[in-house]
Amino acid sequence: MIFRIAVRNLFRNKRRTLIVLTSVIAGTIAIILNDSVGNGMVKQMLENQINLHTAYIQIHNKGFSDEKSVDRYIKNQEYIDSLLSSNSDIKFYSKRIITFGLLNSANSSSGVNIIGIEPEKEQFVTFIKRSLLEGNYPQTGKRDILIGKKMSEKLEVEVGDKVVAVSNTLDGTVKSELFRVCGIYQAGSSEFENTNVYIPIDFADSFIEMNRGVHEYAIITESLDDVDKTQSSLINQLGSDYELLNYRELLPLLVSYVDVYRKTVIVFYTIIGLAVFFGIVNTMLMSVMERIQEFGVLMSIGMKTKEIFKMVILESFVIGIVGTIIGFVIGNIIYSYFHYNGIDLRAFSESLHSLGINAIIYPSLNLQLVINSLLVMPVTSVLGAIYPALKATKLMPTDAMRYV
Amino acid sequence: MEIIKVESVTKIYNTGAIAVKALDSVSLGINKGEFLVIAGESGSGKTTLLNIIGTLDNPNSGKIYLENNDISRYSKDELSDLRLNKLGFIFQAYNLIPVLTAIENIEFSMMLLGIPESVRRKKALEIMNDLGIDELANKKPNQMSGGQQQRVAVARAIVNDPLIVLADEPTANLDSKTGENLLDLMEKMNKEKNITFVFSSHDNKVINRASRLIMLKDGQIINN
Ligand SMILES: Nc1ncnc2c1ncn2[C@@H]1O[C@H](COP(=O)(O)OP(=O)(O)OP(=O)(O)O)[C@@H](O)[C@H]1O
Ligand SMILES: [Mg+2]
Repeated sequence: MIFRIAVRNLFRNKRRTLIVLTSVIAGTIAIILNDSVGNGMVKQMLENQINLHTAYIQIHNKGFSDEKSVDRYIKNQEYIDSLLSSNSDIKFYSKRIITFGLLNSANSSSGVNIIGIEPEKEQFVTFIKRSLLEGNYPQTGKRDILIGKKMSEKLEVEVGDKVVAVSNTLDGTVKSELFRVCGIYQAGSSEFENTNVYIPIDFADSFIEMNRGVHEYAIITESLDDVDKTQSSLINQLGSDYELLNYRELLPLLVSYVDVYRKTVIVFYTIIGLAVFFGIVNTMLMSVMERIQEFGVLMSIGMKTKEIFKMVILESFVIGIVGTIIGFVIGNIIYSYFHYNGIDLRAFSESLHSLGINAIIYPSLNLQLVINSLLVMPVTSVLGAIYPALKATKLMPTDAMRYV
Repeated sequence: MEIIKVESVTKIYNTGAIAVKALDSVSLGINKGEFLVIAGESGSGKTTLLNIIGTLDNPNSGKIYLENNDISRYSKDELSDLRLNKLGFIFQAYNLIPVLTAIENIEFSMMLLGIPESVRRKKALEIMNDLGIDELANKKPNQMSGGQQQRVAVARAIVNDPLIVLADEPTANLDSKTGENLLDLMEKMNKEKNITFVFSSHDNKVINRASRLIMLKDGQIINN
């Protein structure tokens, strides 16, 4: 019956109830859209980086990630190859030679990471082949070099142009080598395009005289969920001569950025929550003040102050719940549309690009965000009703009745 | 049997600089089954006395005993329970809950007592039948006349078989005939169910029916 009274009270001033209800609906929709866009964005950033270069797990010689010097290469490749190809959780892997060097064109020069890849295998491990903008993917046995779009602009070179790479060889002598730009790739991030260039691994081997040594194994497991399991089993088998890092360990900055971003949603909830909160305080206060006399009657009949308190809270909570349900449905309809079609932010693509975010964002919700979107407004509606409800219970019944 | 005892109750209202002594050492006993009228001119303290007996307000000094229990010791919640179980109120302005229908208004206090829906519905219908207002059952207060609302208020006041019903000028807003009908109703309940009624009024219709009349003047009882 208290519930019935609460609901009927809401119908008493329909316009007022509708205004608060609308703000709750709008708040819920805003939360769903903001969360899903933000989450989709950071998820994309992380996935871009993993798919473009990092892969899920990398194997290096011990100490390589501390100092990437060419002499920290992996010696026992046959053993690792046999381990990886017999592990059923591993989908693909490829080997890389990595050195830091200088790339010179006729007009300009730039410091680069020169990455020697096994072209046939690398295409299954990362997206680099699919990221080709023009020209061709490097081929084994050729003086091919694949560079990023930004790099091509910086060096003012096009496909077919010659560039000279300079790097230390394994024994420490400085050596230069001529390459031909076979292709230009586009990555999600301009930073990435500016640092990484790809050459075929056999040519890298002869360039820096590695004698068939490699620096890195990049591994893809069947799914991201298998990463930890595969990593620890490989650590067991390989022992302490190698370092085995998963993508979270390889991209600590990005991962912590994602974490930080996920925490900043609290700020957003607070802002939206506060806006709705004050609306609710205001409305409930008006509604309570109008009914002070009625509360006096209820008290004289024998209703306890805590029951009156509950009734006022319940009224607000009903708005919170109804608004959340409606907002959740509408929010999810909008969300599903953009989840499949994406939000086109090409107008801002310059700045997004430098952050490693795609121009088209696919909003993405996860369970936690769904729970949040269902909780924020009902909680706000209860909090917003506390002060008005206290106000309703503070008076003696006679004071209350004298109000009108 | 004395069910209520008022012992030298004083009530002072402080409004700004002036203190108004609304009740000045009032003592009074009320017996079971009385149809008691407290009369007196406007401002004499009738409402104040009724509210204090009804535990809706606290005296500045003096004591109220309800069935020999000193109610000044009661907590807020205990007073609520006391009102719920032992007291019924009828106000000048009817004061039904506007969002509830007549029958829901009558059921309300039974709901607070935790009586199951089917039982309270039956009891509310019974009492409406007794008072001849069954056809009002599903009407909201704003769909009823003043007299009809006040009848519903009477039903609400007596439905829990209270020890005493306190009625503050119940006929003041009603025309003379409707007022008489309402009084008939309350007299009937008084006789048939032996419910004690205490009125405040300066309406002669009410005063004429009193089983006992108390006159208030400037917060003091001048006859008993
Ligand atoms: N809340 C209050 N604050 C200040 N003074 C009050 C208050 N309530 C009543 N009074 C004063 O106390 C005195 C008694 O008032 P009370 O309402 O009990 O009179 P009454 O006999 O019921 O009058 P009426 O016939 O007009 O209803 C009056 O002088 C009134 O002005
Ligand atoms: Mg009065």
